Amino acid sequence: MVIAIGFEGSANKLGIGIVKDGEVLSNPRHTYITPPGQGFLPKDTAKHHREHALSVLKAALEEANVKPEEIDVVCYTKGPGMGAPLVSTALVARTVAQLWKKPIVAVNHCIGHIEMGRLITGAKNPTVLYVSGGNTQVIAYSDRYYRIFGETIDIAVGNCLDRFARVLKLSNDPSPGYNIEQLAKKGKQYLEMPYVVKGMDVSFSGLLSYIEEKAPKLIASGAYTPEDLCFSLQETVFAMLIEITERAMAHCDSNEVLIVGGVGCNKRLQEMMGIMAGERGATLYATDERFCIDNGAMIAQAGWEMFKSGVVTPLKETTCTQRFRTDEVKVTWRS
Amino acid sequence: MSITEANCLSAELNVPFPSAYEAGVAYGSLSVDKEPKRGNVTRELHVEGNVLHVRFQAKEARTIRVSINSFMDHLKLVCETIAEFGPVR
Repeated sequence: MVIAIGFEGSANKLGIGIVKDGEVLSNPRHTYITPPGQGFLPKDTAKHHREHALSVLKAALEEANVKPEEIDVVCYTKGPGMGAPLVSTALVARTVAQLWKKPIVAVNHCIGHIEMGRLITGAKNPTVLYVSGGNTQVIAYSDRYYRIFGETIDIAVGNCLDRFARVLKLSNDPSPGYNIEQLAKKGKQYLEMPYVVKGMDVSFSGLLSYIEEKAPKLIASGAYTPEDLCFSLQETVFAMLIEITERAMAHCDSNEVLIVGGVGCNKRLQEMMGIMAGERGATLYATDERFCIDNGAMIAQAGWEMFKSGVVTPLKETTCTQRFRTDEVKVTWRS
Repeated sequence: MSITEANCLSAELNVPFPSAYEAGVAYGSLSVDKEPKRGNVTRELHVEGNVLHVRFQAKEARTIRVSINSFMDHLKLVCETIAEFGPVR
């Protein structure tokens, strides 16, 4: 029996979760929510994490009904993500690991998402679409590495949605993407916009500039409603993602597809992916907001896998890094 | 020009802890992260008894201030964590 605790703080969510042999014992999270029209900045986000770290940690231990001495390994997010929030979260992980005399495992955030998705859905060897505010990648496992088949060449799809939500001054509570999704359901009129797929990669920055410039005029003139624009933006960016995911599946001859990351809880994205998977005779695996959105349990789960395969990070090496690609990590826990 | 004693600002911080144990834990947590390269600040930590000694060196007042500020934020977080989960005093 191995009990792992995971600390996640690479973006605006602070999450601490406890996992015992594939069972999530607790997974509390506190989100830094900014006023409408504003994004989250590294310094303020780090302050948020420092202020809430101990209360979230206490909640994680209480909900799991686990005492510190019962924990076997302390896992934390090494990267990728925003530097200051990552370090603030890692400091707490390092300190408790020393106080409790436990080994530490440094976890790649993207791999946390993949392993959590596999655990919750039971997908064996899926092609993975990882979509969030900071990352957009199509990933498949081969020969000890999670290989990136396609990715964004500029901003993440979630960043594109979040920033369009700022143009419309939508609330960031619970998340800008959620509020776009709700408006999109009422959209009727489709506005054609740039559809940018380059080989296996996608690009969203030109599309964002286009809609940022057009939206105020289109809404003011009454030609399109904010609902129409949310609908059109979602349909366009999701179609791009489905296209590159389908191509990766065809390439890998894959019959499973897994969606992870914060944008992954979007029901319309899941529906579109489900249609594509159905046409190919493949199975779609997706999770809900508890596990799609950044959380501590995913770091605990990936760290649990790594620890069981013999990986430990010496304290001196428990640094953080803003850039840390999915394919840099040797996957020692899969055959 | 490299950062040497003669041409730079320096600051020393001495942080007493209840015992050498807590000072060692704080050292372990706070000594891992390097100062950002762009800042041109050096930060050295060492422990003597129950005191954590920190020495900052930089060429500009602005960068040394930023570095000390950030260190104080981190120190506070580590001290709070030790107070919550460390040995009962």
